Amino acid sequence: MKPFKLSLTLKIWLTMSLSILITIIFSFLLSNLFYEKLYLKTVEKSLFREGQNLASDYTGGPLTGEFKEKIEWYNSKTESEVFAVNNPRELSACLPYEIDYETLIGEEERKRLLEGEIIRKVDYEERFDRKVLAVIVPLLDENRLEGIIYLYVPLATISELTNDFSYMWLVAGILFLIVSIYIGTLLVKKLTKPLLEIKAAARRVSDGDYSARVSASENDEIGELASAFNQMSSSIQREDERNKEFLANVSHELRTPLSYINGYSEALLTGIVKTEEEQKKYLSLIHRESKRMNRIVGDLLELSRLDMDVYQIIKTPLPLAQLIEDALQKYTLTAQDKGLFLKFNLDPDIIIEGDEGRIEQVLQNIMDNALRYTEKGGISVKLEKHEEGCVLEISDTGIGIPKEDLAHIKERFFRVNKARTRRDGGTGLGLAISDKIVRLHGGRLVIDSVFGEGTTVRIILPVMELNQ
Amino acid sequence: MRKWSLKILLLLVTVILASCSQTYPSISRGAPLALTINIKDMTISFIDLENREKITDWQMDKPYSGGFLLPDGDTLLLYGRHLATVDLYSLANGKKIKTWKTGKGIDSGILLENGKDIVFTDRERKAVRFFTTDGREISEVPLNENPDSLLERRRKNSLLVLSVSGEKLLEIDLKTKELINCFPVHKSASGVLLKEVQSGDEIWIGGHGSGAVGEKNIHVYDADTGNLLKKIPAPLMPVDFSSGNEEVFAVSHGSNTLYKISKDGIIQGAVQVGANPFRLAVFKEFIIVAGYDSNDIHFINQHSLQIEKSVLVGEGPFQITLRERQ
Repeated sequence: MKPFKLSLTLKIWLTMSLSILITIIFSFLLSNLFYEKLYLKTVEKSLFREGQNLASDYTGGPLTGEFKEKIEWYNSKTESEVFAVNNPRELSACLPYEIDYETLIGEEERKRLLEGEIIRKVDYEERFDRKVLAVIVPLLDENRLEGIIYLYVPLATISELTNDFSYMWLVAGILFLIVSIYIGTLLVKKLTKPLLEIKAAARRVSDGDYSARVSASENDEIGELASAFNQMSSSIQREDERNKEFLANVSHELRTPLSYINGYSEALLTGIVKTEEEQKKYLSLIHRESKRMNRIVGDLLELSRLDMDVYQIIKTPLPLAQLIEDALQKYTLTAQDKGLFLKFNLDPDIIIEGDEGRIEQVLQNIMDNALRYTEKGGISVKLEKHEEGCVLEISDTGIGIPKEDLAHIKERFFRVNKARTRRDGGTGLGLAISDKIVRLHGGRLVIDSVFGEGTTVRIILPVMELNQ
Repeated sequence: MRKWSLKILLLLVTVILASCSQTYPSISRGAPLALTINIKDMTISFIDLENREKITDWQMDKPYSGGFLLPDGDTLLLYGRHLATVDLYSLANGKKIKTWKTGKGIDSGILLENGKDIVFTDRERKAVRFFTTDGREISEVPLNENPDSLLERRRKNSLLVLSVSGEKLLEIDLKTKELINCFPVHKSASGVLLKEVQSGDEIWIGGHGSGAVGEKNIHVYDADTGNLLKKIPAPLMPVDFSSGNEEVFAVSHGSNTLYKISKDGIIQGAVQVGANPFRLAVFKEFIIVAGYDSNDIHFINQHSLQIEKSVLVGEGPFQITLRERQ
């Protein structure tokens, strides 16, 4: 059996409608309750005050006809019913004797009145054959209950009033409910539309269409989600393209030496090459290409290892100037051969924490490049302090890099001049590896170049804090 | 061993607790005494009549509505309509001494002049029941009416029984225990007084009134014929009477008034006293009036009708009983 599934739209809609309904019902009940309570309270208070005022005219002794007349006159002028009672029969004076008469006040009430308490009650009163809100004020002469002033309001009128009010509430409530649910539905639709778009776009992405985008017009969480989605799919797309390019590059790079090897070996096997000298030349070509392939594969492995999180750099304190001097010793001769100068200006106090072999590898990569692309002039190596630690600057007076290529120079297999580089023996991965290593050391590698004038590679690395 | 000692201890405690009944402050013998039975707070207040001071209150554990003292002047007999027993207390010991299993319904009672017999009205059985002072029931006279007040008529050795709901006054021969007379009385009658006059006996009956109208008069009936002889105006709601030396005193609870009435039925004086007074008693030159709402008794001079002293008692004094001299 398929489990019953509620869509988000339906859930939001239901929540909203339910909240509106609950709010209406609750406020209806509450207002009804408050109304009744407040109204009753107000009426009761006013009766209480009236009773007290009337009772203040009583000066003691048996109730006089004049006093009763006054109360009657007041009764004719006021909305509530008011009367004075001095008949002890009505006042339950005969209790505890058995009497065959329904008195106006009961035994308990008489007791409270005798204590001077003003009684308030909301009850069905047989005498008036209806529910009343009554206030009974005792007229006490010392401890004699000479009479009472009985004030009441029939409660039916109050209930009728609240009933009318209830109907109005009900009608208004239903109208409000319909309108708010209609508006709510529109709102929910508007709210969930981008979500549905995102859902459709996500499906397209999962099907391999990384160009899927959603319109992030709203400036809220959903808008942010849409733009985050767009960023994500752009990233995926970029990564996908990069991967494709990388694969194409790898196959291309490998195909060149392979085709060499294939061609030369075929020439050897078919006997096209006659002389031993030529055979040797062909074999050395095959050997060179296979070495080149070996280098490419080695570099690729190196890169993928560096990419893995598990790759660890074994850091030791390194006097960087010494390391650079030692590593670049071997280039002195090569530079002399090419007629280039090689200058060092190294701050011997700089000590970094790093992996000696790796740093050397970086130096080699950069020096190889510098020597490879410099025909006249020379190379200057400078190590000095920097606000972020230290900076190693290797500047050459070589051919430089065109401005448009500078941004891609660190990418894998990127070449400014593909044919020339291949001829020069580079794998196209050196700078990518160097950049990775520097970053693993917490530094960064910056390349500046002016085409035709030279290139400056700056490696900025954090230094070891000696006081630690 | 330990188990046994614990059991014995428990048994002892039980026995001690069982033997313990409530004790009250002792009321000494001899001195003249008034006691009020207060039904609102279920107390009995004792007042020393010589000093006119309250001695003490007893907080009872049952809703007694009335009672009287037996001829020994120490045994107080108490009853209540909703109680299944009539209980006897010793004033001097401050203890309950006897319980008579009478069944529910005992609503009023008197000790007859002979000092040996007691008569109770029983509303459950609609009868009057005769007992000896040691609790033995002698006889029962069924009435078919709810009996309320009792009064002994010495001249005829008979018992007058007022039935309020039956609106009748019944007469029972005390010797034969037979109903010998019955005549109608007014509605909501309350309080009966037998006045011996030369021409015969008069019965004075008060009342609460009918419906919303309070009774204004004392009705005087001929004790033999039941004829209404006269009405003495004593507003409002005269409910209790007591004979003084010459005059009759009546208390009207509706107007909180004590009336002094001559034997000819002429009002000689009136005074406002207490709040909602139900009962009065005459002691020497004083009339004692109990205010049911004011929870007090007042000592009023018979002659001047001046309130000489007021004493607070328990809540809702509903009956006054006197012990004049032991």
